Amino acid sequence: MEVALIGNPNTGKTSLFNYLTGSYALIGNWSGVTVEKKVGRLKNRDGLLIDLPGIYTVAPLSKDESVTSRFLIDNHFSQIVNIVDASQLERNLQLTIELLELGKPVVIALNMMDVAKHRGMEIDRLSLSKLLRVPVIPIVARSGRGCHLVSESLSASAADRPHTFRIDYGSESERAISRLSLFFPESGVNRRWLAIQALEGNKDARNRIQSETDRNDAIEASCDLRKALQENGQAETVSDWFYQIRKKYIHEIIRQVVRHREEMNQTALSTKIDALVTNKFAGIPLFLGIMYLIFHITFEWIGNPLSNLLDAFFSGPLTDWTRQALNAAGVATVIRDVVLNGIIAGVGGVIVFVPQIFVLFFFLSWIEDSGYMTRVALVMDRLMQLVGLNGKAFIPLVIGFGCNIPGVMAARTIEQPKERLLTVLISPLMSCSARLTVYSLFAGVFFARYQALVVLSLYALSIVLAMLMAKLFSLFMKKETSVFVLELPPYRLPNLRTIMRSTWDKAKGFVRKATTFILGGTILVWALSYFGTAGANVPLDHSFLAMICGFLAPLVAPLGFGSWQAASALISGFMAKESVVSTLSMVYHTAAAGSLTESIRQSFTPLQAYSFMVFTLLYIPCMSTVPAIKHEVGSTKLTLFTMGYCVALAYTVSFIVYRLGLLAGF
Amino acid sequence: MNLAELKPGVHAVITDLSKTDRMVNKRLRDLGVTAGTLICLRSVMPLGGPCCFESCGECIGIRRAEAETIDVECDTHWKSL
Repeated sequence: MEVALIGNPNTGKTSLFNYLTGSYALIGNWSGVTVEKKVGRLKNRDGLLIDLPGIYTVAPLSKDESVTSRFLIDNHFSQIVNIVDASQLERNLQLTIELLELGKPVVIALNMMDVAKHRGMEIDRLSLSKLLRVPVIPIVARSGRGCHLVSESLSASAADRPHTFRIDYGSESERAISRLSLFFPESGVNRRWLAIQALEGNKDARNRIQSETDRNDAIEASCDLRKALQENGQAETVSDWFYQIRKKYIHEIIRQVVRHREEMNQTALSTKIDALVTNKFAGIPLFLGIMYLIFHITFEWIGNPLSNLLDAFFSGPLTDWTRQALNAAGVATVIRDVVLNGIIAGVGGVIVFVPQIFVLFFFLSWIEDSGYMTRVALVMDRLMQLVGLNGKAFIPLVIGFGCNIPGVMAARTIEQPKERLLTVLISPLMSCSARLTVYSLFAGVFFARYQALVVLSLYALSIVLAMLMAKLFSLFMKKETSVFVLELPPYRLPNLRTIMRSTWDKAKGFVRKATTFILGGTILVWALSYFGTAGANVPLDHSFLAMICGFLAPLVAPLGFGSWQAASALISGFMAKESVVSTLSMVYHTAAAGSLTESIRQSFTPLQAYSFMVFTLLYIPCMSTVPAIKHEVGSTKLTLFTMGYCVALAYTVSFIVYRLGLLAGF
Repeated sequence: MNLAELKPGVHAVITDLSKTDRMVNKRLRDLGVTAGTLICLRSVMPLGGPCCFESCGECIGIRRAEAETIDVECDTHWKSL
């Protein structure tokens, strides 16, 4: 049994998905959280649930919407759970009708009944169920109330044969529908539904028509119908006409199932907050202030004290205990060295930053869940427009602060191909949390008093450069009119459980990376530093690592960090940005008995450290981001271009920063 | 008058959407905004930035240029609300 979960954007689909499958997927309070279909196994039941990107109508406008459209047409599912926002019943039913027309069994999960009640709507779900002839189950997706009933109702409806749902679109339209339905192969997908979709302009449906002559006939038939509708003064386009007919049908249903009571003034608070955060003058400063506060809390108040404790534990007791244990066990020196100087020093160097990552993710999740993110998109639109982007592009970019991969994927919600491509191209410049480990290390050593400010400056730099690059690239792209229609969902008090889960989910990836990728890389780097032409356990300066990276060091010397240690850190940083830290910990740990911070303080000046941070910020998307970019841009050439321009940009900017700094006397 | 000329907080009814960009038109329709919909302008961003309006208890942001293509009528009845 494959069940498709379909509904309008931001109606709680992903929450329902998580309750029904017991797995965890990302939730946010903005349209377009789900950009690709996700499959989960149903709890207590034999079957799969497929979470699809939210859509308003089946015919797609943006790339993530066409995922759902194609899924419906490809027909690899047996039933539909249609999640409906009760507070926006009228427009949600537009999609419901299209799903009913498809002819598969449908269960309606009626979410946000509480919001509807606050707006003074009383919905009689039993009559709704009777009128549409499908089960209607009230749920509260955020808390999970009623969700198990959705799962139970699935078995019952699977046995039922679905009734044929049919709306009469008027004689001319009906003629066109029957004519078109003959063009479609008998493939198990309702042919009337395909015909309606094709007439509405759904390209995915049109492409189902096999022969080219038939396809042309179909297009001609839609044109004829449009002309007829225009002549009769009924509608401008076919899809407008279908919309109106459905709207009439929906009005009749609403009349029978919804009772309006005195409206309670619950939107007042949302309106008040909006008046402030989307204020003409306060909007942008407020956003910057919030970001600063987040960084301040992350570093100064919570992150650093915890990191220092962890660091003290790793370099003190843990190392000692391990050494004693290994000595007692009598293992070979080489193994003792790889464990102490390789794994504990390297991986431990990354793990100590887990507190910062957790706190930052916690706040990013908070912003996502509360609904503030879309307001920021609105506030930023004017600025983004200047560089050829869309306010909506701001959301993927902010997500990129967590990790570039979901950031790159979130770009799919942008309707225009050009703006989407631009967003993907600049998203590797967003300073992801992995890079944070590098800043934490260096800023902690050199700029202890102004840490939040220094780190914020790097984030600001990443945004400014991303904007400049977007402007530059857009000059070489075809002009395209830009669409910007943004739904601003009502504010929600973030659900602590959701936030904790989402924080944990993101941070889990970080920990997993530390124990796989970074561990492997660390051992490799350690091996290269342990062996040399003279054999094993050579002095570090004569190791393979020093030899290989010694070649590269002169290349980055003009940027202020010409040591082979820095070069080796940057090379392994391509694997994962955290590896920069683990490699540095290792090469300096092996070299001196002193602590990592002490060796770094001796090897860099503050200016060199800043230049190194700038270079790390920009120089290349990590190995895991590259395939994501390739997937989105769809060409190897553009992927290589993205990597190439990042390197060039990093070199140029670091060079300028370092040289200007020298001139200024730092 | 058009949507962009409204004062924040004033209610109005949309009279004509046919001059808007096709994609914007469709997206607004998806959100339930069509001719005859009652709306209320909420706020306008500076320097020709977008504006946001409320319709059916929901806030929607669009660009100023698009707002200028949407004709509205200030109904005296709604003004008093």
